[in-house]
Amino acid sequence: MPLWTLRGLRRGIVTTRYPARPDASAALLPTPPAFRPDVLTAGLADRLVAVCPSRALARDGDLLVFDVGACTACGRCQAEAPQAAGDSGEFELAAIAREHLIKRIPLGGGLG
Amino acid sequence: MTGQSGTGLNVQETSEELRRTVTRLFGRSLHIRTLDTGSCASCEQEIRLLAAPHYDLHRLGFFFTPAPRHADLLMVTGPMARVFETAARKTYDAMPDPKIVVATGACALGGVYQPDPFTRGGVGSSFPVDVWIPGCPPSPLALLQGLLVAVGRLAEKVKDLDFALNGAPR
Repeated sequence: MPLWTLRGLRRGIVTTRYPARPDASAALLPTPPAFRPDVLTAGLADRLVAVCPSRALARDGDLLVFDVGACTACGRCQAEAPQAAGDSGEFELAAIAREHLIKRIPLGGGLG
Repeated sequence: MTGQSGTGLNVQETSEELRRTVTRLFGRSLHIRTLDTGSCASCEQEIRLLAAPHYDLHRLGFFFTPAPRHADLLMVTGPMARVFETAARKTYDAMPDPKIVVATGACALGGVYQPDPFTRGGVGSSFPVDVWIPGCPPSPLALLQGLLVAVGRLAEKVKDLDFALNGAPR
């Protein structure tokens, strides 16, 4: 048996499956925003749509349509309305269908 | 590969069957060909990091190959510049079946560029995409998760997320 194999066995795990343990750097990654439905109004939603540089946001009546796939996590919506948009903290976003990435967030704050 | 409608096959069932076959075949050995269709190279930097010791994608049975004929998975970045479409099509056609296409990054997903005379504004109209990996750029961890979703070793997570906050933002 090669020496390296013995060394590997003695030292424990040689290879791991993903995710064997949480990655410490994952918390530092920019992540797409998450929105507060109770604070969002139609006026605020329109402002957020206007500042989004990558067409990730759109308003459809009383819904804010958020296309996570188009989001670049630039943070402009969070800067525009810190009370309504925060970090989602999600980065494992792979989807097997494009429409799974399109989120409809109700405008709970009314259409005013 | 396109234009198979009218053959009487149930597309949903067929794609599920293909997915299972792919998982079985590629569970521990999958070769990736990356294809840059006009990206800013951030995605390429992150993809390159996958092979670094910290992420070490080889332990999971993924390998990069420069040859489309050796590749099982096409990792496409960029918004699909129209001048590149012929080359992209040839790359896809040169890959042996079964093959997986992974759209990588916000440009490829149609976020950053509108369709215009220069770009398609996303790769969805040029390829049958199997897995979509958002991010600008997607971090190596996100790419790794996407690759594992592509071979069916991880379930997709994003479908069940609603991106709504209940309390005040952090």
